[in-house]
Amino acid sequence: MNLERKVEILSESAKYDVSCSSSGSKRKNTKGGLGNGAYAGICHSWSEDGRCISLLKILYTNYCIYDCVYCVNRHSNDIPRAAFTPEELAELTINFYRRNYIEGLFLSSGIIKNPDYTMEQLIKAMRLLRENKGFNGYIHVKAIPGADSRLISLAGQYADRMSVNIELPTGKSLSMLAPQKNKSSIIGSMGLISTRIKEVREERKTFKKALPFVPAGQSTQLIVGATPDDDLHVLNLTQGLYGRFGLKRVYYSAYVPVNTQSSLLPAIASPPMVRENRLYQADWLLRFYGFKAEEILDEKHPNLDLNLDPKSDWALRNLHLFPVEVNKADYEMLLRVPGIGVISARKILAARRVKALTFDGLSRIGVVLKRARHFITCQGKYYGERGLNEELIRLSITNTKRTFSQASNQLTIFTEEFLGC
Amino acid sequence: MIVYIYDGTFSGLLTAVYEAFYQKEKPGQILKEWDYSQNLFSQPIYIYSDNDKADKVFNAIKERISFTALKNVYYAFLSETDNGDTLIYNYLKLGLKMGKYVDGNYSHETVSRLHEICKKVAREKHRMLGLIRFRLIRGDVYYASMEPDHNVIALIAPHFARRMSDQNWIIHDIKRKTAIVYNQTEWVMTELEVTQALPIDEEEYLYQKVWKTYFDKIAIRERKNPRLQKSFMPSRYWKHLIEI
Ligand code: SF4
Repeated sequence: MNLERKVEILSESAKYDVSCSSSGSKRKNTKGGLGNGAYAGICHSWSEDGRCISLLKILYTNYCIYDCVYCVNRHSNDIPRAAFTPEELAELTINFYRRNYIEGLFLSSGIIKNPDYTMEQLIKAMRLLRENKGFNGYIHVKAIPGADSRLISLAGQYADRMSVNIELPTGKSLSMLAPQKNKSSIIGSMGLISTRIKEVREERKTFKKALPFVPAGQSTQLIVGATPDDDLHVLNLTQGLYGRFGLKRVYYSAYVPVNTQSSLLPAIASPPMVRENRLYQADWLLRFYGFKAEEILDEKHPNLDLNLDPKSDWALRNLHLFPVEVNKADYEMLLRVPGIGVISARKILAARRVKALTFDGLSRIGVVLKRARHFITCQGKYYGERGLNEELIRLSITNTKRTFSQASNQLTIFTEEFLGC
Repeated sequence: MIVYIYDGTFSGLLTAVYEAFYQKEKPGQILKEWDYSQNLFSQPIYIYSDNDKADKVFNAIKERISFTALKNVYYAFLSETDNGDTLIYNYLKLGLKMGKYVDGNYSHETVSRLHEICKKVAREKHRMLGLIRFRLIRGDVYYASMEPDHNVIALIAPHFARRMSDQNWIIHDIKRKTAIVYNQTEWVMTELEVTQALPIDEEEYLYQKVWKTYFDKIAIRERKNPRLQKSFMPSRYWKHLIEI
C-alpha cells in the first residue's frame, strides 16, 4: 500500500480525536537537529470544519481488537485498514515538518495484538524521531489503555504531551459502550503519569540533565452526548481531574454518530455542538476565572443553558452581587462580570491606575459592553437600559430569535481566543 | 500643514521624530516619500536619514519610556498603516511626557489605536509562523513565498532560523520584493524577484499530494463550518498554501 493511501485511511480514522493543541512545550532545538516547541502553540492550517491543524494527527494503525460502540475503528466495522511502520511514520513527520505543514505529531493507535505491543510500536516510532532523526518538534502520544506502566513511563520520555482518554463521563457509560476498557486502569495510568511528571520536575531542579518527562503535561478527552450523563457530572469530573492529576486540559467532543446501527447510542441528526461549546466556556471558568463547578451548576440546574454563556447565566442568578464599580472592584470580581475577560480585567487595573476609567474607555479596552453594561457602574453611573432585572437582561443578551447564529458566532470568537489551538 | 517626508526606513522615521522634537516647525503629518502627493495645503519638509539622530531617539524611547514602547513603535512602523507614522509621533510625544506609564493609558485614543495596529502586526506575524509553506527546490533549498499585509518578514526570520536550523531556506515576500535567506548558519535580508518557474525537486510533489490528502481527510463532514475556517485563515493567504 502506498504512503498516500495509508495517510488517507489513518487520518480519516484519527479525525474524531479533538485535541489539536501544540502548546506548553519549550523544547529547544539541538545542534544540527530539526525543530523546537513553540510555547504558545502554532496553528498551521484550518480544516473545513474550522478546526486548527497543528499536528499531524494520525493513527499508527486502525486495526483494532476492541469494539467500542461509538468508534469508527472498532473491530466489527467493515472499513479499509492500514498500518504504518515506525520508519514510514517518522519519515512522513519529518517531511511535513520541514515544509512547515505541522508543529509535530499527534500519535494514537487502534489496539493491535494487545495494549503492550501497540505501545511498543508507538515508542519505536518516537524513538526513531528523537534519537535517529534529531527531531525536536512537538509529540503528543496517546497512552494505550491497559499498557504496562513501564511502557507508559518510557513513552513519556519521548513525548511532550501524553493523554489517556476518559472517553465517557461515567464508569457505567464506559462499561456499556467500551466494554473492553475499564475505568480504573484509565485512572491508574493518569495517576502514574501525573506522579512521574511531578517527580521528574523535582529531579530536574537538582540534575539539570535529567530527561524531561511529558513537559507539556497531560490531557484527556471525553465524548458528550453519546450517553445521558448531564453537564453537572461532566464539570465535577473535570474539576476533579484538574485538582487530582493536574491535567493541562480536558477536551470535550460532541458525539458524532458514526455507527448508526447500534441501539445503545442515541439517534441524533447532528453533533451537539452548542453544548460542546458551552462546556468549553464552563471549563474556562474553572481554569482561569476562579469558579467552582458547584457555582456554575447544581442539582436544580444540572445542564448548561444553551442560549446563554455560563458566566452570564451565573451572573443573572447572582444579581445581588451586582452592579460592580469598574473603577473600584478587585480583579477577582472584575473577572466575574460578563463581557470582561482576563485580558480586559488586567487592562482595567492598569488603566485606572493612570486615571479613572470612562464608559467609552471601557470599549477601547475590549470590554464587551453589550453584556457588561448590565452588571457594572462606571464612575457611579449605571449604563444598562434595563435596570437590574433578571428577565429583561436575559432577554437583551440572548435575543432568542438569533440564538443559533449567535451561538455559532460565539463559537468563532470563543475558539480563537480560548481554545487557542 | 507641515508634512515631514522621509525615505521609508526605520532610522529615517526616527530621524524625523528627532527633528520634530527639536525643530520649531512641528509636523502635522509624517509620511514615507512614496506615500506623499503634493497638494496646495501641505508644506513638505524632506528629512534625511541620520543614524546618530536615529540612535538618540531609539535610546531615548528605551530609557525614558520603555522597551515595550520601542517594540510598539517598531511594530507600528512595520504595519505600513495609513498615517501610522504620524500616530507613532503622537504616541512618542505622549510617551515622553508619561514615561513608562504610557502603555497603561489604554483608554487614550492615540495609545489604543497604536496598540490596535501593533496587535494586528503581532497577529499576522504569528499567523505567518504557521501559514508559510516551504517547497523543496533542486539544490536542497526550501523556498516559501508570502504576501503579508504588514511587513513582518524580519519578525519571523529568527523563529525559522532556530527551528529549521539544519536546512537551507528562503522566505520571500513577493509583494515587497524582499527575502530572508538562510544557509544553516545565519540569515540575511536581501532584495529578491523571481521571474521564472522554480526548479521543483521531484520528491516535493509526493509530499504535497500527501499533505492535500491529509488536509482533506482530517475534516469532520458533520461539523463543516467554512465560515469559521475563513475567519481563522482568511482567503487572501490561500494563494500561497498548498492544501487549499
Ligand atoms: S480501543 Fe476502542 S476507541 Fe480505541 S480504536 Fe479501538 S475501538 Fe476505537
